[in-house]
Amino acid sequence: MKCDIFIEALGQRVKVLEVTRQYEDQVTALVELNDLPEAVRFLYYDMGGYLSTMIPNDEREINKHFALYYVLSMEGGKMFEGDEVAQDEKCFVTVKTLISPDTLTYPSVTPKVPACVWYEREAYDMFGLIAEGLPDKRRLVLSDDWPDNLHPLRKDAMDYRYRPDMKEHYMEPEFDFLRPEGSGVIDVPLGPLHITADEPGHFRLFCDGDTIIDADYRLFYQHRGMEKLAENRMNYDQMGYLAERVCGICGYAHAIACIESAEKAINLEIPARAQAIRIICSEIERLHSHLLNIGLACEVTGNYNAFMHIFRIREYSMKLAELVTGGRKTYGNVVMGGLRRDMTGVEIKESLQILNIIEAQVDEVWDAVMDDKRQMRRWKGVGILDKQVARDFSAVGPNIRGSGIKRDTRYDHPYDFFKQVKFDVAVVEGGDVFARETVRYLELKSSVSIIRQCFEMMPQTAIIVDPKFHVKPENYALAYVEAPRGDNVHWIMQGSAQKVFRWRCRAATYNNWPSLRFQFRGNTIADAALIVCSLDPCYSCTERVTVVDVKSKKSKILTNKDLKNFSRTQKNSPLKDLR
Amino acid sequence: MMKLLDISKKYGDTTHKYPFEPYHVADNFRGKPAYIFDLCIGCAACGIACPSNAITVQLNAEQNKLIWEFDCGRCIFCGRCDEVCPTGAIRLSEEFELAVKFDKSALIQRGELEVQCCTECKKPFTAKRLVQYSFDCLSKANVSQNRLEEAKDYLRVCPTCKKNATVSNFTTGKEVVIE
Repeated sequence: MKCDIFIEALGQRVKVLEVTRQYEDQVTALVELNDLPEAVRFLYYDMGGYLSTMIPNDEREINKHFALYYVLSMEGGKMFEGDEVAQDEKCFVTVKTLISPDTLTYPSVTPKVPACVWYEREAYDMFGLIAEGLPDKRRLVLSDDWPDNLHPLRKDAMDYRYRPDMKEHYMEPEFDFLRPEGSGVIDVPLGPLHITADEPGHFRLFCDGDTIIDADYRLFYQHRGMEKLAENRMNYDQMGYLAERVCGICGYAHAIACIESAEKAINLEIPARAQAIRIICSEIERLHSHLLNIGLACEVTGNYNAFMHIFRIREYSMKLAELVTGGRKTYGNVVMGGLRRDMTGVEIKESLQILNIIEAQVDEVWDAVMDDKRQMRRWKGVGILDKQVARDFSAVGPNIRGSGIKRDTRYDHPYDFFKQVKFDVAVVEGGDVFARETVRYLELKSSVSIIRQCFEMMPQTAIIVDPKFHVKPENYALAYVEAPRGDNVHWIMQGSAQKVFRWRCRAATYNNWPSLRFQFRGNTIADAALIVCSLDPCYSCTERVTVVDVKSKKSKILTNKDLKNFSRTQKNSPLKDLR
Repeated sequence: MMKLLDISKKYGDTTHKYPFEPYHVADNFRGKPAYIFDLCIGCAACGIACPSNAITVQLNAEQNKLIWEFDCGRCIFCGRCDEVCPTGAIRLSEEFELAVKFDKSALIQRGELEVQCCTECKKPFTAKRLVQYSFDCLSKANVSQNRLEEAKDYLRVCPTCKKNATVSNFTTGKEVVIE
C-alpha cells in the first residue's frame, strides 16, 4: 500500500514505535522524542518531503501527554528533473511524538528543517511547549501584552470567551525585531496597514540607503481564536460555515478542506456530482482571486488603467459565482457528506458563455500588459525567491511554482474530481514578481479549462449522501485543497458529542511568510509593497480568529470621543459592560 | 499602454447606473430571508437550523408572547431556514441592500405569536398557531372523529405534563385505550 516504502525507510533510520493508518494515503509513525528532529529531517531532505503542517495537541485526557504531529507531504524534492516520487507513491507521512506534561520540552526540528520555525513558535504560544534549540523563540500569534503563562489552546487553560485585561500603552512590551548589525542601518516601518491589501501587518525594513538589507515582520494582529471557538461550541454543521470565514477570498477552499478532513476521518465517500461541483466552485474562486492579485500588482506599481480592466473582467467571475451558487461569494454550501445546492442545466449553459468571455478578455488584457515596457521593468528581477530557499521553507502555491518547482496539490495529491480532470501545472522559472504573475495568468487559463471539463463530465448522481454516519472520537485525518494561494491543509481530530477535539487550520500564506524576508533582501523600498503583494498574502487567513458576545446580545454605539479616549489611554474599556 | 486604451474604447462603459436604476441579480440569488408573519406557526425549526444564531424563538419576559426574532447582522445567507420551514414562512429573497446607518436595530425583524398555555400546569409552552397547525394536519390524516376530539385536549397539554401523566398512569396501572 501507499506510504509503506517511506515507513520502512524511516524504520531503518530511527526506531518507529507504532504505525497507524488514517486514510489510504495518510500514515502516522510514532517516534521517540529524541528521534524527532532526525526523523523529520530524513523524510524532508532524504526522502523528498515538504512540510505540510504541524499540529500540537493537548491529549492529556486521552493519553496523559501532549502530542506533536509533523505532517510531511511526500512528493519528491523537485529541485531538478526527475527528482520526484512516482505518482502512485505520493502520500502524507505524519511523524508523531508524545511530550510529557512534566517537562513540556522537545528537541527543536528548526535547525535541521527551517520550514518548522513558525509552527514551533506557535506551539509555544498556544500550548506552552518549549522547543529546545529553536533559534527564534519570540512570540508569533499572541499579542505582546498577553499574560505570560496563559496558553489558550490547552484544554484547561481558559473559557473561550475569556479576554485578559489589556496593559496600559506604556506598559506594553516592545516587540523585539531581529535587527541586522552594522552602522548606517535605517529602520523603515511599513504598516500597520498594508497599502494594497488593506490588512494589518507590520513590516520593519532595515535599509542601507534605498536598499533593503533585511526585514522582519510582526503579524497576527487579527487572530480570531477560531480553533478554540470550534472546539468549544460548534458542531459539524456549523463548522463548515466558520471555516469559510477564515478567509474573504479562498473561503470555499477552507470549507471543503475542513469538511473533507472530517469526512476522511470516518472514511466517508461523497457522491461524484458533489465532488465535481466542489471543484467548479473552488476553481471559480481561483479565477477571481488571481484576477484580483494581477490587478493589484498593476495598481501597486501605478498602472491604474490595467488594474481597472482586470477588475472589469473579475466582475464576470463574480457573476459566475452568483449564477451557480446564489451569492457573489461561493459560501454556505458545503456540509458533511456533500453539498446543499445543485446546479441546473440552464445555469451550466449560461456559465459556459461567461467562461468564454473571461477567457478571451484575459488574453487581451494580459497581452496589453506584457506590451507595456514600464510595467515589465517594475516586475522583472524584483523580489526573487531562490529555489533553495523555497525548498527549505516549504513555500506553496504560485510563490513556489514561480521559482520553478512543480508543486501543486491538485497534481501531487489529486482530491475529489481532479482524478478525472486533465490540466497542466503552471511552472515558471525565475522566482521574481513577473514569474509569479505569469504563473497566475497560466492558472487562469487552466482554471477555465478545468471548469469546462467538469461541466462536460458532470456526473448524474445525488449531491449528498444519506447522513447516517457515525463520528468516532479520537479519529483524525488531514485534508488538503489547492486554494488560489497554495494548499490549505486542515486537520481534524474528532471528539465526542458531535464536536471536534482539535481543529488545525493551516492557510496557504502561513507557509509563505517565513521566506518573505529573503525575497525582500537587495530590493529597494519602493518595491517592498509590490513584493508583499506578489505573495498574494492573506493576513486574516493566516491569523484565523474576534468573538461577539452572543449570549448577552448587548451592543452599543461608541461616540467618537469615547473611542478616541479609549485608544489613547486603554482605560475603562467601553466594551467591558458588554461581557 | 496604447493597447489598453484601445481595449477601453472597444468595451466602452461597463458600469451600471445603480442606484438610479435597479440592479438585477441572478435568478437563484440568496438574499435577505423574507419573513411572512401570517404563515409562521412558531415551530422554531428555523431557530434550531440557523448555524449562526441569527434566528431565535423565545418567550418574552412576561411569558405571554412567543417572540420570533431575526437579526440580519448575524445572517450568513446559507438558506437553512428556508429549507426547514414547514409552511414557507421564511424564504430567501432577492434583497441585497442591507446597509443601515448607525441604528443597528433596523436590522432586526420580530414576530410576536400568541402562546398556548398548558391546560394542566397553566404554563406557556408553545404557540397557538402550532397547536392549530398540528390539529389541521391530524384532521387531514385518516384519523377517526373520536380521536380527533381527544386531540383537541391533549394538544393543549405541555410535554412535561404529558410525561407526568404517562408515568402516573403507568405506576397506578390505569389503562388508556388508543383507537
